[in-house]
Amino acid sequence: MSAAPALAASTPAAGPRAGLFARRVAGRVAALLAVALAWEGLVLLLGIRPFYLPRLSSVLAAIAASPGAYAAGFLRTLAETLIGFVAGGAFGVAVAVAFLRLRALREMVFPLFVVSQTIPVIAFGALVVLWFGNTLIAKAVIAFYLTFFPVTVNALIGLESVDPRQIALMRSFGASPRQILLRLQLPSALPQTFVALRLAASLSLVGAIVGEWFGDTTGLGVLLLQAMYNENVVAIWAALLVSALLGTGFYSAVALLERRLVFWGAEQ
Amino acid sequence: MRKSLAVQRGILGALLLIGLWEGIARGFALPAYVLPAMSDVLLGVWAKRAMLAEAASYTLAEAFLGYALGALVGIGLAVALTLLPRARGFVVTAVTAVNSVPVVAYSPLILLWFGIGIASKVVMVALAVSFTLFLSTLAGLDRVDRRSIDLMRSFGAGRLALLWRLRLPTALPLILAGLRVSTVRSIIVAIVTEMLGAYGGLGWVIYQAVLQIDFVQVWSAIVVASAASLLFFGLVGLAERRLLFWKAT
Repeated sequence: MSAAPALAASTPAAGPRAGLFARRVAGRVAALLAVALAWEGLVLLLGIRPFYLPRLSSVLAAIAASPGAYAAGFLRTLAETLIGFVAGGAFGVAVAVAFLRLRALREMVFPLFVVSQTIPVIAFGALVVLWFGNTLIAKAVIAFYLTFFPVTVNALIGLESVDPRQIALMRSFGASPRQILLRLQLPSALPQTFVALRLAASLSLVGAIVGEWFGDTTGLGVLLLQAMYNENVVAIWAALLVSALLGTGFYSAVALLERRLVFWGAEQ
Repeated sequence: MRKSLAVQRGILGALLLIGLWEGIARGFALPAYVLPAMSDVLLGVWAKRAMLAEAASYTLAEAFLGYALGALVGIGLAVALTLLPRARGFVVTAVTAVNSVPVVAYSPLILLWFGIGIASKVVMVALAVSFTLFLSTLAGLDRVDRRSIDLMRSFGAGRLALLWRLRLPTALPLILAGLRVSTVRSIIVAIVTEMLGAYGGLGWVIYQAVLQIDFVQVWSAIVVASAASLLFFGLVGLAERRLLFWKAT
């Protein structure tokens, strides 16, 4: 303890903060266990038929019986989700910057983007699968399509909310538009952008799963569909559980990144 | 002045897209399964208008029913939680657990439970809409200023009066935003569920057309679905502006 007094003195908030984090994780784990116990207990207690809700233990047993299939599905869907998410996020921010710079472009294209979001994802998915074949990329494109729009909207809101006086100040010091963008506008837009990125994390998973319904051999969507055709409710719940794991894990990763990058935005 | 310029540019953008689409499809003589010409799609809508109208009304009925049900459940649950704060921790945990699976992933299960008729689509839409509205209503109800509550309490207002006169009006903008977002989502969820099994509706039409490789019909159904979504969205947006008369946008 006494070996690092300077460290302890310079980060007085680290101790309680780490404690808070640990307590929060412990709280989450406890809530998860409570849900698991409630699931198992309620099914036994109320005598719910396995057709509606099988016991958690039998669902876990189904996963343990063929872990390879679930692991492969998990990884495949994760890859599709991740590619679509990263591409959609990058494209969304780039479009927001372009819209900020070119008002005419924004007014011409933005309404089309809005309309594009009313196209049902499966209809779009049918076309994408036809264009790209039944490949990983096709599913990533569907995830991308669901992801970019919320990011564009929120990044644009964030970029526009920058105080014009700050821009004027930076300009008066001779900052180029590029510097203003990188040092002021994009960082200022980050909190707002991350709100959309968290939403996009869930949406890109939806895109990947629905994309797999057009026929594929691996993936969580495939597992769901096969289980439905076999009327195997336990297998459906197993696939749902793995999807929940993927969805929650991905969402938490994005939220963690947000906390790291937007360290000043304590409002959330 | 500014607004009319924006509208003009929006129309110009749409015209450019249509022109570009038509030009590419005709110019490169693209086969219909890659990209049918816009004019062919519109002709396809006209030729199949009776069938598409029937499919659209089927889907819209599912979406409306599910939307109303989901909104009632979502808003009701959030309001009930403010009256019963003790149940909050448990309910929010349970909802978060259920919500951690993407909603559409539930559709195979819901189809097994409720069959491939209209009931399964209504349930799926209600599920999707209720999540959105539960979360936005809860956030809206929490936004109330502590001091306003104290002030009203000091005048002897009870829980119900606080809810009706203070919390709900404060939450209204967020609730209405949730209702607006849910319009498009409800139609999309209905269509996605129809794709996995249905007796009719736009999703069913699209899936059948995909199987028959009839891509003019796929695009025709897409056009109709988009138009229906925009209409629904516009109606709710209009109602929102009426209800939120104090908030100039």
